[in-house]
Amino acid sequence: MAKGRISNNIRKLRFFRDEMTQQQLAEKVGVTRQTIIAMEQDKYSPSLELAFRIAHVFGVPLEEVFSYHPKDLQD
Amino acid sequence: MAFQEKNIVASLSTFALILGFYSVRVLQMVRTESFTATNLFWLWGMVAVFAVIGTILVSIFAHIAGGIVHKIRTNEDPNIEDIQDERDQLIDLKGTRVAYTFSSIGVALSMLTFVFGQPPLVMFGSLIFFGLLAQVAADIWRLTLYRRGF
Repeated sequence: MAKGRISNNIRKLRFFRDEMTQQQLAEKVGVTRQTIIAMEQDKYSPSLELAFRIAHVFGVPLEEVFSYHPKDLQD
Repeated sequence: MAFQEKNIVASLSTFALILGFYSVRVLQMVRTESFTATNLFWLWGMVAVFAVIGTILVSIFAHIAGGIVHKIRTNEDPNIEDIQDERDQLIDLKGTRVAYTFSSIGVALSMLTFVFGQPPLVMFGSLIFFGLLAQVAADIWRLTLYRRGF
């Protein structure tokens, strides 16, 4: 089965939360700043638990933060 | 460069140096016909000591040097994020898988030396070589995953 792509709006959501820094978000969800950077650059797809923690910090549903793009729809 | 990446670079440089040192010493032993159990066990002991002490010393040096460079460049105190989160653990596991693969192939190749009628010392020597190679390959793969993403 072809792997899809997971994109996110973390950068945009940080901007609308008074320019929350990557470090602040990292501390709130309990990861390193490098992991936040990797997620914003679509270089890392987080675990379900971390995805929920990020959505909880921003106070929005999960699908507002992350979206899944199946491979067959991109082709 | 993040805390975990610095640790991997320190480990990679230490083990690459040890692998080079080990290979050169073994080749010298073979050339001078001094490839004996005593010499090989002595070399094995040296490799083990260098691996432990070298990794610790190089890691400390890398963090101190990195902290000084960070302070000079940004005039901020270095922030050491020494926690290992889920991404670090995943990269660590992927690296370990590479190490196991290299080790397994190494063990199989070392066993093959018996088939070709070599003494057990050759097998022991090649086991150490593939063990070091597995560590280097795992560190390269971990560093690649940190840089490239996955």
